[in-house]
Amino acid sequence: MKKILIWGFIFLLLGLCAKFCIRRDIPETYPSSVHNTELENINYPDKNKNVTLNGVDYLQSQAPVGVFGGELVVSTIGEGPKTFNPCNSKDNTSSSMAGMMYDGLVTTDPITGEVVPQLAKSFSIDGNEYIINLRHGIKWSDGKPITADDVIYTYEEIVFAGLGNTATRDMMMIGGKLPKLEKIDDYTVRFTTSKPFAPFLRMLSYQIVPKHYFKPYSDKGESVFNAFLSPNTNPKEIVTNGAFRLKEYVAAQRVVFVRNPDYYKINTKDEKLPYLDKFVYLIVGDTNNEILKFEAKEIDVLGIRGSNVARYKLKEPTSDYVMYNLGPDTGTMFLIINLSKDKVAPAKHKWFSNRDFRAAIDWAIDRKAMVQNVAQGVAEPLFTAESLNSIYLNKYIKGHPSDKNVARESLVKAGFKLKDGILYDSEGNRVEFDLYTNAGALEREAIGVMIKQDLEELGMKVNYKPIEFNSLVNKLTNTRDWDMAIMGLTGSPLEPHDGKNVWQSSGPLHLFNQRPADWNIDDRLDWEKELDEIFEEGALKLTFEERKPLYDRYQTIIYNQKPIIYLYSPIRITAIRKKFKNVFPTPLSGLLYNLDEIYIGEGE
Amino acid sequence: MNFLKYIFKRILQTIPLLIIVSLISFFIIRLSPVDPLAELRLNPSISQETLNKEIKRLNLDKPIYIQYFSWAKSFVKGNLGYTSAGEKVSTKLKERIPNTLLLTLVVIFMTWSVGIPLGIISAVKKETAFDRILTVLSSVGMAIPSFFFAILMLIFAVKTGWFPVGGLTSYNFNELGFGGKIIDIAKHLILPAFVLFTISLSGLQRQMRANMLEVLDSDYVKFARAKGLSEIKVVFKHALRNAVNPMITLLGFEFAGLLSGAALTEYVFQYPGLGRLILEAVMKSDINLVMASLMMGTIMLILGNLLADILLMITDPRVRG
Repeated sequence: MKKILIWGFIFLLLGLCAKFCIRRDIPETYPSSVHNTELENINYPDKNKNVTLNGVDYLQSQAPVGVFGGELVVSTIGEGPKTFNPCNSKDNTSSSMAGMMYDGLVTTDPITGEVVPQLAKSFSIDGNEYIINLRHGIKWSDGKPITADDVIYTYEEIVFAGLGNTATRDMMMIGGKLPKLEKIDDYTVRFTTSKPFAPFLRMLSYQIVPKHYFKPYSDKGESVFNAFLSPNTNPKEIVTNGAFRLKEYVAAQRVVFVRNPDYYKINTKDEKLPYLDKFVYLIVGDTNNEILKFEAKEIDVLGIRGSNVARYKLKEPTSDYVMYNLGPDTGTMFLIINLSKDKVAPAKHKWFSNRDFRAAIDWAIDRKAMVQNVAQGVAEPLFTAESLNSIYLNKYIKGHPSDKNVARESLVKAGFKLKDGILYDSEGNRVEFDLYTNAGALEREAIGVMIKQDLEELGMKVNYKPIEFNSLVNKLTNTRDWDMAIMGLTGSPLEPHDGKNVWQSSGPLHLFNQRPADWNIDDRLDWEKELDEIFEEGALKLTFEERKPLYDRYQTIIYNQKPIIYLYSPIRITAIRKKFKNVFPTPLSGLLYNLDEIYIGEGE
Repeated sequence: MNFLKYIFKRILQTIPLLIIVSLISFFIIRLSPVDPLAELRLNPSISQETLNKEIKRLNLDKPIYIQYFSWAKSFVKGNLGYTSAGEKVSTKLKERIPNTLLLTLVVIFMTWSVGIPLGIISAVKKETAFDRILTVLSSVGMAIPSFFFAILMLIFAVKTGWFPVGGLTSYNFNELGFGGKIIDIAKHLILPAFVLFTISLSGLQRQMRANMLEVLDSDYVKFARAKGLSEIKVVFKHALRNAVNPMITLLGFEFAGLLSGAALTEYVFQYPGLGRLILEAVMKSDINLVMASLMMGTIMLILGNLLADILLMITDPRVRG
């Protein structure tokens, strides 16, 4: 009798446990309105104006006047910043945090994408001459004026001297020559490039740093400069010009910024921005923790992906957040095929270098199924090398649905034979190859499985191998002994020239046909030559209208030749608490680009 | 004199051990096909020149044995080198060590002050309902995986809102008063400490119970009972001193785990401790950081054992001889 009671009790306990564990989940069909949170009904404010008050050239925001005070807490995934030196940041977290503290001469208009003045009051372009007028009367955070000397110092002694991250210098190198820089007076400088160079103006968004604070360190050479402004620097001594200043950095926990009380941006009532007292980054390890922190109201903004979108959308009406659809991501996800001769087995090389073989793969891949199953519908199929929100997107490339019959025809055309469901090439070799991706990225792992299935329907044998990210990169860039891989790269929606390292045959990221660094034989394919020319020429043309056809052509070449088969672009969905006002999200710049205008207000 | 000689001998013995550990770990990490510069390589805006500079700085262009010697040379001099991101390894460790120490010390204090008495009680009240319930509970504690339990606790924190979700301090920590700061840290510590406590408590309690039972069964205890001593005197004065000796060795091992024992729990709770740092460093093959922490772990293990031996010498006259 006693035993029965005890067993009964145990079962009851287990049952209760199970009951609490099983949670009613969201029904499979989610509201179609997830996609329709478009940004159309947002009333964007007018463009910023220049206003001169008491001899100081302010930048005036035209957004509605808000209330001062409060804080905004966001999260960053990973280890947190590695440096606060804007000239030496090599990862996203570090550069976005340094970007909070330092402004560049120009910036990107968040709506149109054109280049607009920021720290500069105005600029004028005459062929290859760029004249920059600085604002009078604006100051560094220690009270010293910002003058042409700081600009000259930043470019001559840091950028051109190759200190820190040399990406900007490499891009400014036109035909092996750096631009010339002259000081006209204390508030005017002139850049002269050796040739007209279209991407140059946008590169002037490089952050300007204070000469009096940086020079003692930059003079001591590279190793001192690289250690300068490490995360452990005393925040009080950092001299900045951005909307926010560093208040504290606590390793692996948070970075706190406070408003710069003497920023040069004002509202229409001539009060100095920003409105927020504090801007806080919490450093979190992974997306799961980020979601928990959002649910626990510890953070105010959350980027939502895939399967979570439906859940958050359902809860949105009764919650304290509002969701925005920022459109397709700037990143691209693709299947890349190794065309290089020396490290791929000769038989395989013969398949991979056959355009019809690559076309068959492209036709076999079911992008729509991927969008539905992997991205839970929160993505768009992608067929172009430029991301879907790029202003240079080739709109004539419409893509195609998946069709296994077209794929099979294409294989027959290429001389492949199907016998008992197994595909052989014309010499009787079985078609079998490896497909890599980085383990741990759940999305890519799932895509890999789908691609494997699609290709095996054609009779190919795919050895699918998710490996550790670092090992994968090593394979792609160093050892080059891979067949196919599923990868992603970030891109710029504004400047296709940024992709030159990928597309030019000598580029360090020309992954699909990477040659060793000391390669000196010209074995470029015809279309590779054309790509090389396009990227040379595209940079030298100055207007959008002149450049667009060139970059359209490059996307057409990639679409026709298919060394890289693009899969889909995730759609960015972001939630922010309703109490934040003056939030004007744009597909180009995201949600928080106007942090200095955002304030906390009552009501909807 | 004997005593000092013994300690000196033990310290000498550790040197070859350290060399072997460092050799093995260095070569395993370096021979794995992990590229510490992978992220930089895949960044379209990073030039070949920057990459070459980084390769030079990290010594990646030299053969492995030269890398090892240059690492060993600076390690002996007390220089731990730089991480692959260019920060000083020593400052990185210094940021994290106090946090991990705080967590593990709290946990060790909790488990020992609860586990030892519970072990004693369940040994003395062997086979009673109390003992049985403790057995079931400690089996549950041993069986539950720490990361899973940690995630459950996190969900608990989100649902109830009673505790913060991970971390060690709130973002407005510096504005709090002294009392507020202590409460803030305590609030953050409760959940991770509770997880680690539950998991290590059961082992300790079982161990103590077994030791105690063994001693209680021995002849001299029976004799003490026969002599007519009260049960309390028998247990605490005669049995306990002998039963606790094996626990001291255990404490030595626990000392080794002080800095590295809670990696999984730290990771789930986003606790800014050493475990999380090392895990991330291993993923990226950040050699200097990994090596520094491995060497530290080895040294702690050796120190812990030494400490346990010394303590044993003090408590147990048989070892002294």
